[in-house]
Amino acid sequence: MKAFVLAERSDAARELCAGARTVADEVVLVAVGDMEVPAAVADKVLHVALPEGAVFDDAADTVIAAFDAEQPGAVFAEPTKHVKVVAGKLAAHAGASVITDVIAFEGDVATNMFFGGVGQKQQKAAGSVAFYTVGAGVFAEAQASGTNAVEELAWVAPAKAVKLVASKPIEKSGVDLFKADVVVAAGRGFAEKDELKLADDLCEKLGAGLGCSRPLTEGVDWLPTEVYIGVSGLMLSPKVYVACGISGQMQHMVGCNRAGALFAINKDKNAPIFKQCDYGLVGDIKTVLPALTAAL
Amino acid sequence: MKIVVSFKVVPDDQDIQVSGDRSLDYSKAKPIVSTYDLNAMEAAAQLAAANEGSSVVGVTVGGSKIDDSKMKKNVLARGVDELYMTADDSCDGLDAHATAEALAELIAKVGEYDLILCGDGSADNYAQQVDVQLAAKLGLPVVNGATKIEAGDGFVTVERTLEDVIETVEVPLPAVVSVTPDIALPRIPGMKDILAAGKKPMNVAGAEGSYANAIEVVDCKAPEQADRKLEIMDAADDGAIEKFAAAIKAAL
Ligand SMILES: Cc1cc2nc3c(=O)[nH]c(=O)nc-3n(C[C@H](O)[C@H](O)[C@H](O)COP(=O)(O)OP(=O)(O)OC[C@H]3O[C@@H](n4cnc5c(N)ncnc54)[C@H](O)[C@@H]3O)c2cc1C
Repeated sequence: MKAFVLAERSDAARELCAGARTVADEVVLVAVGDMEVPAAVADKVLHVALPEGAVFDDAADTVIAAFDAEQPGAVFAEPTKHVKVVAGKLAAHAGASVITDVIAFEGDVATNMFFGGVGQKQQKAAGSVAFYTVGAGVFAEAQASGTNAVEELAWVAPAKAVKLVASKPIEKSGVDLFKADVVVAAGRGFAEKDELKLADDLCEKLGAGLGCSRPLTEGVDWLPTEVYIGVSGLMLSPKVYVACGISGQMQHMVGCNRAGALFAINKDKNAPIFKQCDYGLVGDIKTVLPALTAAL
Repeated sequence: MKIVVSFKVVPDDQDIQVSGDRSLDYSKAKPIVSTYDLNAMEAAAQLAAANEGSSVVGVTVGGSKIDDSKMKKNVLARGVDELYMTADDSCDGLDAHATAEALAELIAKVGEYDLILCGDGSADNYAQQVDVQLAAKLGLPVVNGATKIEAGDGFVTVERTLEDVIETVEVPLPAVVSVTPDIALPRIPGMKDILAAGKKPMNVAGAEGSYANAIEVVDCKAPEQADRKLEIMDAADDGAIEKFAAAIKAAL
C-alpha cells in the first residue's frame, strides 16, 4: 500500500512519515511551500512551490492531481488549519471523510474523541482510501526511513483562488508546559486578570508552569492561547496538576486526566472536578490560594 | 449581502449519561445549538448589521429530534432572520462528507447567497471538515480560522488566526468561511428577541436524498476513568489547607 503524508511543519512531517511507514510499503511526503523537508523520511517527496500571493490551502488542486496519479490507500495529515483544508478537499474529491485527531490506531481502526472526551469513537474508512489527521505523539515510537527522491509538481491553479494579502508571525510566549512537572491551571473561577497573581505566586512556590482552561484565552487575553489545556489545546501528563477555579468539564479534563496526581480547588462542592481528582479543596481561590502558597 | 450560517444541533453534553457498559445515553440530553456555532451566528448577525440591506439565513441538518421549538426560537432570537432545516432520522450521525451533501441540497432552497459561515467545530466530532467538504461540493473557495471578516465588492477580506501566523486573505464571493470562537461573543437573547423569533419563517422538511457515510463507526464508549483518591476537604475546616499542601508536597 502507498501512503500520502500532508504536513506543513518538519516535526510533524517526520512523525507522520514514520507512522505511515508502519502500514505502507511506499511513503510519499507532499511538501508545500518552503517547509524544511526532514532527511530520509519518505520514498518520494512531492514538492509544491507556492506561487506569489497564493495561500497554502490552494495547493489542494495540485495535491489532488498528484493523488489521482499516485493513488495512495491512506493519507496521514497534520491537524493544522491549512492542512485540514487540503486534506478535506482531497477527501471530498475521493468521496471520503477525514477521521480527525486520531489518538490511537489498531490496524485500520482509529480512535478519536467524541464530545471532547465524554466518549471515544473507534472508526474506519468505509471506502478504499482512508484519511486521517494525527496529532503529535501518536507515532512517536515509529521510525521513518526512505531516500527522499524529490519530484517537483506542476502548479494546478484553483478555479477561484484565495489571495494572500499579508502573513505575520504570531509572537509566542515560549512557555512549554510539556516540560513542566507541575502545572497549575486557572479557570473561570478567576474573576479578573489581576487575580492571576494568586496563581503566579503558587506557581513560583511549586516551580510550576501556569496553564488555564479555554475560556481564559477566548475573547479575553489573560493568558496566551498556547497554554490552554484540553481536547482542543494541550494534552498534558505532568506529575502534579493543580486545577484552580475549574469546573471539570470533560473537554478540559481530557487534557489533564493523565496527570500523576490531580488536585482541585473550587468553591462549589458539587463541581464535577471533585469526582475526578485525588485531593479536592472546597473554598474560594481568593483566600485559599494565598493560604496554600504560605503553607507550602 | 445574504449570509447563510450553517450550524449543528447536538445533544447537550451536560446531560449525556454513561451507562454501566460505558455506552452513552442521550435520552436526557436536550437538543442545543453546538456551542461554537453560536459564535458563527453572532458573527453573521454582526456582519449583516455592518452591511445595510443584509439578511441572515440559518441552515442545519440532523435527525428528527433537532426539530425542537425552543432550539429554533433560540436561533432566530440571535439576529438570524430565517431558518431552513432538514430534520430526518436518516440524517442523524452523518459524517462530514454526507453532511455537506445534505447541506448543499438544503442551501439550494435558500436561493442566491454571498457567504456561508460555519463554526469552528461541532461539540460532538469537532472534525472541522464540514466547511471544506461543503465548499468542495458547492465549488466555492473556503478559508477557516477566521477572526475578522470585512465585506468588499465581490469579495471578503478575512483575517485568519492560524497556529503560527495571522494571515490576511481576500476571498472571492460566494465563499465558505469558518470562524473561530474569538470572532464574536454570542449575545444573550432577551425576552423580546425570543418572542419575535416565534414569528420568523421556519422552513422544516424531511430529507430529499439519502446520504451515505464514508466513515464506519466500529464502537463508541466512554473511556475508562482513572482511579482517583477523591479526598475532598473543606478549606474552612481546621488543618485542611495544611493537609492539602502536604499531599501536594508528597506528590512532587
Ligand atoms: C468543542 C469544544 C471544545 C472545547 N475544548 C476545550 C479545551 O480544550 N479546554 C478547555 O478548558 N475547555 C474546552 N471547551 C470548553 C469547556 O466545555 C468548558 O466550557 C470549559 O472548560 C470551562 O472552563 P472553566 O472550568 O474554567 O469554567 P466554568 O465551567 O465556568 O467553571 C468555573 C468554576 O470556577 C468555580 N469558581 C467560581 N468562582 C470561584 C472562586 N472565587 N473560587 C473558587 N472557585 C470558583 C465555579 O464553581 C466553577 O466550577 C471546549 C468546548 C467545546 C464545545
